[in-house]
Amino acid sequence: MKQGIIYLICYALPVPVILLSLFIGSTGQADAGTALELAYKSVTAAGLSPSEADSWAMIKNIIYNVRLPRVLMTFLVGAALSVSGSVLQGIFRNPLVDSYVLGISSGAAFGAALAMTFVLIPVSLGAFAGAILAVALAYLIARSGSGIVTIVLSGMVISGMFAAGLAIVQYLSNPYKLQAIVQWTMGNLHAASWQELQRVYLPVILGLLIVYIYRWRLNILSLGDDAAKATGVNPALDKWILIGCATLLTAITVAAVGIISFYGLFLPHIVRMMLGADNRKAIPASIFLGGTFLLVIDNFSRSLFAFEIPVGIFTMLLGGPFFIYLMRKNKLNWN
Amino acid sequence: MELAIEVKQLNVSYGKQAILRDVNVGFGERRFSVLLGTNGSGKSTLFKAMTGLLSGYRGTVLVKGKHIGELSHQHKAKQIGFLPQFYQTVFPFTVEDILLTGRAAFSGFSPHRKDKVLVGEVLAELGLERLRNKLFPQLSGGEQQMVMIGRLLMQDPEIIILDEPTNHLDVYYQQFLMNKLKAFVGEGRTVIAIMHNPTLAYQFADDFYFMLDKQVVPACQEAVPELDMLKAVFSTDFLHIPHEEWKIVLPVGEGVLR
Repeated sequence: MKQGIIYLICYALPVPVILLSLFIGSTGQADAGTALELAYKSVTAAGLSPSEADSWAMIKNIIYNVRLPRVLMTFLVGAALSVSGSVLQGIFRNPLVDSYVLGISSGAAFGAALAMTFVLIPVSLGAFAGAILAVALAYLIARSGSGIVTIVLSGMVISGMFAAGLAIVQYLSNPYKLQAIVQWTMGNLHAASWQELQRVYLPVILGLLIVYIYRWRLNILSLGDDAAKATGVNPALDKWILIGCATLLTAITVAAVGIISFYGLFLPHIVRMMLGADNRKAIPASIFLGGTFLLVIDNFSRSLFAFEIPVGIFTMLLGGPFFIYLMRKNKLNWN
Repeated sequence: MELAIEVKQLNVSYGKQAILRDVNVGFGERRFSVLLGTNGSGKSTLFKAMTGLLSGYRGTVLVKGKHIGELSHQHKAKQIGFLPQFYQTVFPFTVEDILLTGRAAFSGFSPHRKDKVLVGEVLAELGLERLRNKLFPQLSGGEQQMVMIGRLLMQDPEIIILDEPTNHLDVYYQQFLMNKLKAFVGEGRTVIAIMHNPTLAYQFADDFYFMLDKQVVPACQEAVPELDMLKAVFSTDFLHIPHEEWKIVLPVGEGVLR
């Protein structure tokens, strides 16, 4: 029974949440009531008056061209971040990491900003290059047998160094580009469009698919290299494939919507609390719940105040306290 | 006697520090062999080389006459099951999840249905059925160790190699495990273990090897425990108390043997 409710939350909830999100906006226009009323009238014999026909056209335009791409983008980004978080936590065997904590997001942001300012390569390619650099640094540090806290701290340092690089890029860019870069680094979904979505969906779905296929191998990897080798498998290849996917997912989302901090940290924990650690169940749940939950957060960020708050600020406010809670729960102290 | 594992001219060093020097040793098939030695004497390094976990050494490791590097992953998993000294998981995997990972070399991207049946059989063999859906990190050290031995049985290996299997175990589980290992040998498997406890080792094992000065020295005689050798290895006096067919070896304090 309990299991049933959990599966319902993971796999059935996305549908109503996506539908609901289409009718929520910062402008207060195109709310569900008006939209349904006009939709009803337009298909019944009563028909629409000319003024109603105008607003019906506008509502359709808002929903189809503004909100639908944003909703789909948010869902993909949420799924990508939570899955990359699950993968990184499993491979680093560290419940306190995600692409943000390890500095991969900052690396991607630096690479993307560099590409935006100097327009040498596509933004997502720049983000991917920066993310690879950051993940290589994080992995090298973790390889020399560091503890959970050391990896988190070195992630902070990596993150800080790329933030410094990003600041230099901002300093060098002209005011118009500067504003664009600053807004984008805060994690910002309102720029989503069909065009942007077209650049994102293929690599994200590819990354999610590969992780989904490798989800049981992730169980084996999360027991450590020696335990994996002891069962007669070579963990190196699996690791590179999965880290490659996590890096790709991070880079693509950062290039599209900026840094959404801590989301990949807490979502996998919520999934594990609901379904347990077995990635055969946790990865598909992370994909769907990850997408749904970011939509819920984004709906709040759009409708809570008269102005829109960047979603990255929201996830940071949620994730910060959660991080502290995890530190306490895992009894991470200096002694 | 056929050899399950044969090590020839093995040299391992970390940087300039030599860990193992010209090690030559063979472990017999269908025997319960124990390697005794002090902390940091290179036992674990030797076992890592013997199980293919270590690379970058000089020398040869043969598994039933075949070069270990030439075995396929699947073949190696069928030959050798290894219990490493350290393992940990921070995630709340169930015992069943942990056991299923033992099938990694055989079941590709997802455990098969028969693997789940095997989980039941292995748990029954170890008398741990009640733990099946328990969370691994919440088990006691002894239960965790038994589960990891179950994970190794999931491979159904011919040769079982264990690095300090009685670590963290209370007296009951120590006896339980040693009896199990002896029974595995009776079923036709080979067991090779590093142990820290000579008393326990001499009650159950067939063959003895000692780690001395970066080399492995086999025991010369089977009938009587070699107390001189134990003293050379552990720098501690030992007492042999024969009791029926049992060999009881006890470390004793200074002055007892006067």
